[in-house]
Amino acid sequence: MIAYVTRRLLLIAPVLLGVSIGSFALLHLVPGDPAMILAGQEATEEVLAKIRHEHGLDQPLAGQFVVYLGNALRGNLGISIQSRQPVATLLAERFPFTLRLAFLAILVSGVLGVVAGVIAATRRNSMIDLMALLASLVGISVPIFWLGLLMMLVFSVRLQWFPAGGSGTMAHLVLPALVLGASSSAVIARMTRASMLEVLRQDYVRTARAKGVQDRIVIYRHALKNAMIPILTVFGLEFGYNLGGAVLTETVFSLPGVGRLIVEGIFARDYPVVQGSMLVVATTFVIVNLLTDIAYAWFDPRIRYN
Amino acid sequence: MRRIASLSIMVTLLGLAALPMAGPTPAQTPVRGGTVTFATGADPDSLDPQNTQSNPGEQVNRMMYENLVRFSAKMQLEPALAESWSSSKDGLTWTFKLRKGVKFHDGTPFDAKAVKYFFDRVLGEEKPFKASLYTPVVQAADVIDASTVRVVLKQPFGAFLFIMAHSAGAIVSPSAHQKWGKDLALHPVGTGPFKFVEWVKGDRVTVQRNDDYWGGRPNLDRVVVKTVREDQSRVLMLESGDADLIVNIPTEEIARLKKDPRFTVESSPTARALFIAINVKKKPFDDVRVRQALNYAVNRDAIVKDLFQNNARVIPAHVSPLQNGYAQLSGYSYDPKKAKELLAQSGASSLKVKLWSPKGRFAKDYELAQAVQQDLAAVGVEASLSTLEWGAYLAATKAPAEQTDRELFLLGWSPSTGEARWGTFPLLHSSQLAPKGDNRGFFVSKTLDEAIEKATVATTDQSRLGALREAQQIAITEAPYIFLISPNMIVGTSKKVHGVMNLPLELTYLTEKSSKDK
Repeated sequence: MIAYVTRRLLLIAPVLLGVSIGSFALLHLVPGDPAMILAGQEATEEVLAKIRHEHGLDQPLAGQFVVYLGNALRGNLGISIQSRQPVATLLAERFPFTLRLAFLAILVSGVLGVVAGVIAATRRNSMIDLMALLASLVGISVPIFWLGLLMMLVFSVRLQWFPAGGSGTMAHLVLPALVLGASSSAVIARMTRASMLEVLRQDYVRTARAKGVQDRIVIYRHALKNAMIPILTVFGLEFGYNLGGAVLTETVFSLPGVGRLIVEGIFARDYPVVQGSMLVVATTFVIVNLLTDIAYAWFDPRIRYN
Repeated sequence: MRRIASLSIMVTLLGLAALPMAGPTPAQTPVRGGTVTFATGADPDSLDPQNTQSNPGEQVNRMMYENLVRFSAKMQLEPALAESWSSSKDGLTWTFKLRKGVKFHDGTPFDAKAVKYFFDRVLGEEKPFKASLYTPVVQAADVIDASTVRVVLKQPFGAFLFIMAHSAGAIVSPSAHQKWGKDLALHPVGTGPFKFVEWVKGDRVTVQRNDDYWGGRPNLDRVVVKTVREDQSRVLMLESGDADLIVNIPTEEIARLKKDPRFTVESSPTARALFIAINVKKKPFDDVRVRQALNYAVNRDAIVKDLFQNNARVIPAHVSPLQNGYAQLSGYSYDPKKAKELLAQSGASSLKVKLWSPKGRFAKDYELAQAVQQDLAAVGVEASLSTLEWGAYLAATKAPAEQTDRELFLLGWSPSTGEARWGTFPLLHSSQLAPKGDNRGFFVSKTLDEAIEKATVATTDQSRLGALREAQQIAITEAPYIFLISPNMIVGTSKKVHGVMNLPLELTYLTEKSSKDK
């Protein structure tokens, strides 16, 4: 097990190298000059030249990449072109927001999705099943932007239950977590339903029932635990998706997260910020995948990593 | 020679300040205390005024810092940290009498040394971004006595007071600059009515009242400036009470908010000019008749009325009426018949052109380009409209002549000095051809160059304004652009909030006189 985890962790290095090369190439393929965007239309050529020089943008691209990689290896992610702050500082300020949001969202969608999926599976073809299916269809299809504005309209403007944006308290995170969790919970609900239906047909479930085990215990202990493997996979994927996809939620609800940092970084051609953020998001993604794999073994002791 | 802002103006101003809440708003005593939450579209880039290059940064700075002279809401120059000033006859030496007894937020006294420190910084080795406003103009500054500063210019400069009123002319505490260096951007210290509290990046900047403010204790306790990127989210925040003040209200929302008795929507004119630049190096745009025809083809009144719902005004040239030096000239009327005639004369009666526009950078920019596209179609000019994201758009419209095939492209220009010389020189002087400057249509005219140069070195307002008028007249005749409109800035506030400053430079902020009802 330990050898397996170590091996997986070591694999992060090539993944990050790939991500670095990919994001560097893509960013520089997009036309636009960070100095021009930063300094505005009124800037003189002298100011532009100064900004380019300060950030090494006047060097050939290959050289810029080598410098970036060398610094990154030493743990230096560079200086933001826009704010002139170290990228590491910006990430340290912004990443916890996104992590908290993604975590809350997956919590919301986990609880909602699994419960809805189980109920739908156990009452197959009933009215409740139909409703759950319909709700998950809506959840998957509704654009985050629209849902966010609608939630603000209902819960902030009309009911005044939650603030319409910004950060600071837990109350600020309720609506964003619901919005971000909406589509994940739909996906998880559908996966849970399918997986549960599969398991509930198995012989051992019938045996358990024949023995007279309580229905609730059959469903939650015997069936659900075995149905969890595919659900976990979706969990891991959705969490990763939430990290990257949080940008829309962060924009609608004005949360200072890393998703917005990346998108604003792209618009400003703030190369160090985008590259640094990509590294952090990629690392988190890999770690979450690893945790998912480890969790498989816990749910299904037949799975061993040797 | 000139003794602007002499003692008499001062006395009047102080008198006004002493009156409780003078002005059109309710004549009751303003409420003391309270926090105003202000939702704006982007995070500041920096809070060091000499390095700040964006409106979100400038408007926060304007609450914490002050200049020697400042703009009134109508863009008139007023005394601020300088009580009065005078200039020598040759326009080369300016003497500022400073306000006494003023202190920076960190306790450092504001005096002639602090002003000299400002000039030494912008002219010296550090070269902050905004130094380029001052280095071509100012030679040096000297301390005459504790409250008198003399500034010597390299050449007479008609708009000198305007560059001093620019957001980058804010005087920073010298001790704070020495202490923080580059990190001054995060630790602003000025003399203004509000003191810095915190900046949570991407989220908010908080300032609190400065009890020692020379203009009297501010009414508000705090101002929280929140970054809310989404236009629609800002509107919802105003409606839910999470914000008291919001900027850039989408035009479609104005009518709805206006009907709501809880809010005030103020639509006020700005110094910004929107126009469509023409690449005069490309045929047939080298022919002035074609450029004039394009100008005759556009129905500006209809654009203002239908597209902007009167939240804009027609401008005759490239200068907005809120720029000092704007000349009231008659521009192009809507005359499609004349447009067709001119096109026929120049042999371009059926013309295919490329039209570029940003989307979402300026108020209704893309829709404006669409309206022009339709008007052009009516005179036989077929324009294919395309858009680019702003970063790419800047690069594409600033590329040098030999690397571009751009033809018509929409641009907006708001001279941050608030005067028409800066609204003309970077755009149309022959020394400013892209990519060096912002003459992105490569327009060259000797007579226009001369008029701009005359305005630059003018030593009297009369000669400066005369030269600027001449420049605008030449621009109209030569038609380097399709001149369009000047959009309004649209700000929404809770009815509880009074005394919001909407400076036509598209800067919204609160002052010591702003207040909020309980």
